[in-house]
Amino acid sequence: MIDTALFAQAAFPELMGGITLYHYLFVSAAMFGLGVIGFLARRNLIIMFLCTELMFQGAGIALIAFSRYWMNATGQVFVIFVLTIAAAEAALALGLVVYLFRRRHTLDAQAWAELSG
Amino acid sequence: MISVMQTIPATLASHAPAAAGAAHAPTAPGDSSAIWLILIPLLPLVSSILCGIYRAWGVTSKLPGYTTVLALAVSFIVTLTGYLSFGGAGVQIVHGFQWLNISWGEAHGQSLTANFSLYIDSLTWLWMLFVTGLATLIALYSTEYMSEDQKNGGYARYFSFFSLFVFAMSCLVMGDNLLLLYLGWEGVGLCSYLLIGYYYTKPAAVAAAKKAFIVNRIGDLGLALGMMLAFVEFGSLEFSEIFARVAEIQATVAAGGHVSWQIEAIPLLLMVGAFGKSAQLPLYVWLPDAMEGPTPVSALIHAATMVTAGVYLIARFLPLFALNPTSLAIVAWVGGLTALLAATIGMSQFDIKRVMAYSTVSQLGYMFLGLGVLTATGAAYHVFTHAFFKATLFLSCGAVMHGFAGQLDLRKLSGLRKLKGWGIVTLAMLVGCLCLAGFPFTSGFFSKDMILAEAFVTQGPGYQALGILALITAGMTAYYSFRVFFRVFCGPVEFHPSDDHHGDSEEEHEAHEDAEGHHGFHPHAPGWAINLVLMVLIVGSLAAAIPYFVDKENHGWVGGLVHDSTAGHLVLPTVAHGAEDAAHGAEAVAHGEGFWSDPHKWMYYVSGTIGFIGIGLAWLIHMTRRTEAATAPIADGLKNAMRPVSTWCERKWYVDEFYDIIFRYPLKILSHLFYLLDQLLVDGLVNFAGAVPRMLGRSLRPSQNGLLQSYAVGMGGGVAVILFIVWILL
Amino acid sequence: MIEKLAQLHPEIALFAATCIVMVLGLAKSSFWRGMSVWVTGLGLVAALVLSFFSPQTDGMLPNSLPYLKAMIAAIGLMILPLMGGTVDRWYERTVGRGASFDPLRVTRGEFYAFYLLSLMGVMLCVTADDLIWLFLALELTSLPTYIMVAMSTPRLRSQEAGVKYFFLGALSAATFLYGFAMLYGATGTTQLQDIAIHFRTEGMGLIGTLGLVMALIGVSFKIAAAPMHFYTPDVYQGAASPVSAFLAFAPKAAGFVVMIQLLSTVGWGWGEHGIALPEALRITLWVIAAITMTFGNVLALLQSNAKRMLAYSSIAHSGYMLVGLLVGPGQGPIAGNGLGAAMFYLLCYGVMNLGAFAVLACLEKRDEHGELVEIETVEDLRGLHAARPGLAWAMTLCALSLLGMPPLLGFWGKLGLFTSGISAGEIGLVVIMGLNSAVAAFYYLRLVRAVMLDTRDEDMDRPALTDMFGRRVAAGLSAVGVLVVVIWAGQLQAASDHATEVNPRIRQFNERVVEAEETPVIESIARND
Repeated sequence: MIDTALFAQAAFPELMGGITLYHYLFVSAAMFGLGVIGFLARRNLIIMFLCTELMFQGAGIALIAFSRYWMNATGQVFVIFVLTIAAAEAALALGLVVYLFRRRHTLDAQAWAELSG
Repeated sequence: MISVMQTIPATLASHAPAAAGAAHAPTAPGDSSAIWLILIPLLPLVSSILCGIYRAWGVTSKLPGYTTVLALAVSFIVTLTGYLSFGGAGVQIVHGFQWLNISWGEAHGQSLTANFSLYIDSLTWLWMLFVTGLATLIALYSTEYMSEDQKNGGYARYFSFFSLFVFAMSCLVMGDNLLLLYLGWEGVGLCSYLLIGYYYTKPAAVAAAKKAFIVNRIGDLGLALGMMLAFVEFGSLEFSEIFARVAEIQATVAAGGHVSWQIEAIPLLLMVGAFGKSAQLPLYVWLPDAMEGPTPVSALIHAATMVTAGVYLIARFLPLFALNPTSLAIVAWVGGLTALLAATIGMSQFDIKRVMAYSTVSQLGYMFLGLGVLTATGAAYHVFTHAFFKATLFLSCGAVMHGFAGQLDLRKLSGLRKLKGWGIVTLAMLVGCLCLAGFPFTSGFFSKDMILAEAFVTQGPGYQALGILALITAGMTAYYSFRVFFRVFCGPVEFHPSDDHHGDSEEEHEAHEDAEGHHGFHPHAPGWAINLVLMVLIVGSLAAAIPYFVDKENHGWVGGLVHDSTAGHLVLPTVAHGAEDAAHGAEAVAHGEGFWSDPHKWMYYVSGTIGFIGIGLAWLIHMTRRTEAATAPIADGLKNAMRPVSTWCERKWYVDEFYDIIFRYPLKILSHLFYLLDQLLVDGLVNFAGAVPRMLGRSLRPSQNGLLQSYAVGMGGGVAVILFIVWILL
Repeated sequence: MIEKLAQLHPEIALFAATCIVMVLGLAKSSFWRGMSVWVTGLGLVAALVLSFFSPQTDGMLPNSLPYLKAMIAAIGLMILPLMGGTVDRWYERTVGRGASFDPLRVTRGEFYAFYLLSLMGVMLCVTADDLIWLFLALELTSLPTYIMVAMSTPRLRSQEAGVKYFFLGALSAATFLYGFAMLYGATGTTQLQDIAIHFRTEGMGLIGTLGLVMALIGVSFKIAAAPMHFYTPDVYQGAASPVSAFLAFAPKAAGFVVMIQLLSTVGWGWGEHGIALPEALRITLWVIAAITMTFGNVLALLQSNAKRMLAYSSIAHSGYMLVGLLVGPGQGPIAGNGLGAAMFYLLCYGVMNLGAFAVLACLEKRDEHGELVEIETVEDLRGLHAARPGLAWAMTLCALSLLGMPPLLGFWGKLGLFTSGISAGEIGLVVIMGLNSAVAAFYYLRLVRAVMLDTRDEDMDRPALTDMFGRRVAAGLSAVGVLVVVIWAGQLQAASDHATEVNPRIRQFNERVVEAEETPVIESIARND
């Protein structure tokens, strides 16, 4: 069992403004990892799509953090574009999911396994 | 890496010092801006494609024929213009387009360049002039000759192959690298195969086509190996570079150095290719059978042009051959013996086209003899004259065959001279036979003399004996050519149409139905196209003697051309010291003062006399006391008296049977053995080799189970594994 | 700014065509609806012409625009006749039978618009010199293709293909996005050139290396390389053949271009001989290439479905092309330019693969519901020679070319990859490639045997020739191309070599760094540059 207080002290030497790049990166990696796990574990197409969104936003957090670290705005600009693409992808995904649901009346990813071998 | 960044001028520039440093190089090859010369090979190609399209459209008019004639005529005019503009201007290199440029390193010899470029020197001009010229004439002849195939589409097919042949032949002669030459070499072989087998419904034609193709493969293997060895040794396939290297070697030889055995092996291998294509011993067997093709094809491909490709190859690489005197001796002896053997067979054949075929083999033998005794001039001149008079002879035979429903047996034809409308054919046959027999002051007389005389003066193993053999052969040649003439064109009028349509498409000929005799059979005399072509060829055959008197110090116009080309600069290892230019040195020794010291002068008389004797014998045997076509009492008497030799001759010395015994049957047995081996071992191996990837595939197949999630697991897992490995490696 | 725009002229032409096509597709008159495909072609022609006038850029591959964009436009033009009528014919048939026109149900305009947008994305990948731009271009390439796959036929399997393609594509997009973020994090810039200079002066570090590897693997989804290849057979099989042919070219071209751009930030000027990638990357790529080609070939060997077989062979071909990427631009302009070889191979692959798919698309038979569907299996191709000699020859030529039979186009493409591999000393990989080519011969020759040698049983129903003439045109174009393009193989190879020369500034910079070797001078050079 990790001593959370100790961990917090080690991780956050100064309580205010003591959050370093690595914390952001940790969060971003966690989001990305959760996204991957969710994608692999869940079978509902909408949830799976949300997981990919989670992965995108994980990358977004990393970009913002790096932007702050390097003191330039490039990363933030990148994030704007990532959000745009994510929105486009969301629109596409929802359209596709609706279309698929009409054909099969299920959102189970496993239902689509005719093509194989 | 294939790359074309390296332009050819740059390649040439980098080797220019080598070329300039070579004392004997004719002229440093220069780039030619005369890109229009590329039309010479291109027009026949276009015509070939057009004829193919006509075939697909089902054109039944004479359009394919006229297209071909037009394309070839323009090609000839371009050649002539080119010759008149650049004839004396040394080597021209015309760049068509970049074809191959592969390199695997920066060093010399680590790149392979072969472009569609033309290497044009005077030797090329000589060949291209008669190839395109004769091809035009023979195409014109064919427009009439092949007219019976118009309906079934064979006409367009024929002309498509015909044009393709001219394209391949010009690639062969004009290519600036060995690979293009090889391509042309295979191309003419292919066209020859297709045209011999033109009557593909006839088993004999198909068998002959197969035989030609297979026998040629043996020669081509030699050429291919020679080409590869040349690439390994010279680091390039381009003529300009090869000759620059050869000039370097010549310089070392002149200074007393010796030639490595690899260099000596190249001419030996090239020679095999030449023997195959030019029908020399032991690979001559395909040429007589090739007469199954349409007669114009026999005239163009199997007499005038393609079969001289071997002569061209050796003449082109004569400097290389001169570096290995053994190869020259082999060429001379093979040529001489082929000439003799073919002449003996020719004396006893009854099919006039076959007589002509054997005479072609025999005359090719003379050309090789000429090359072997180092008179490239004589050989090239003989190629030139032979192209004309043999085309004349074949086309005359073709006219006979066309008119008499495929009849070619000289026992069944007689006295054609006296028939109406056959005057020009008779005259053509007479002129052709005179030239072939070496009758004084005909073109064949001068060209043959040049070779015969040189055989007596050139130093070499048994060359004098070879000269005597060649003289005897000349007598035989005179005999068998006039045997045909006297039997077929003189004597009592008598003819029987063929009952087996011999080689040509006479199936639908009206005369075919009553094969009984000449009652009711009306031979149709040749039309304008055939007569026109024959007249032009008669003039051509006779006029081919004129070049002998032009440019006398170089032994005639052809001599001048040869002297200016790569074949004019030879260095022989044996006589290198003191005599820089051995070929000319040898001739200079021979051409002393006095009658007997100039072999060319006394050869005029000797060979002229022998020619007369041959013709006289033919007259005696085949004209006197002959009352009907089939029997000539003296000939039959002689034939009986000379048994078994006469039978051997008639059966072609059993060479085909001999080849069957020593090649075909052992090969058959071997093939059965290999088949067994194949079944047991190779198939097993192949199956095993096929089974391994199959097993691998089966084991990997479950990964493609069609489930989205499991694919995602594969992907994610893959990323994780790779990241982990990279992390470890760092 | 204006100079930048000049680089984008082909894309602008495509975009203009996209807008027109989208509107035209909604037109009430069937004539104007029908015009949409012609406008698409016109836009591609304009893009093709404009490509030749593309200026040099300041990016990682300064000369790449004309060759690559012209190639994309040209292959796009070749695929177009195949595409024509793929999605619109059911609806047009309904309208033709007298149903009233409903602009909400017509999909024609969108389909061609997506086609153009996707090609535009590929072109943008070429122009890009920035990670943001690369990301946007990649997404622009792939988003339209997801929809194209799903709507290419009304059958369920197309939708299945769409689902798989979209979701796995999103997963891969997230992967390379994360990689891009890490690259940015490691260097503080998204400009590829600055990244390259940063890597050279400061070293790559853990984050840089992992970021680059992640980005590369993510992008390798587009080229169907291991481990991102799983979707390929399912998607190619499920989509209509024209769309499969498109998928085998456009995203693949984008993927390779982006991989070259990314690798050029670290690469090829880095090692001892000036040609090697960092060892970790080299090994990674080596393994990926070997696995990709082997996987593709051994699984293609087991297929009886021709479309799946071609899909697996598409994986294998990506493996071959990866060899070129591994080798890099080589030592000099002549010997061993692997990038040039890979890009030339891409062109060859585009031409010959199109033909194989086009022949499949040309033949139709009725499925169990009585619907006309494109044929898929090798069995359906049997005895094609007797019925349709033209198509049989097209298939034969394309299959032999894919196999790398001289003197067809595929041989020259593969030759370049082999020689570049040998010149870079990657003998092991070249041997694996050779063995793979031998394995590939088994299944390509099976296609050839089916169309040329086998005879059809009398009781089998004969596939009918499609009524869409464009598809036959595409098959013919491809078959002729396989034969004729060979004539210019040398020139194209040269153009490809020229296109893939890495920015001389980066090369010189690398050389200067090697000379200076760890002196403070480096800093100043970095700043000045």
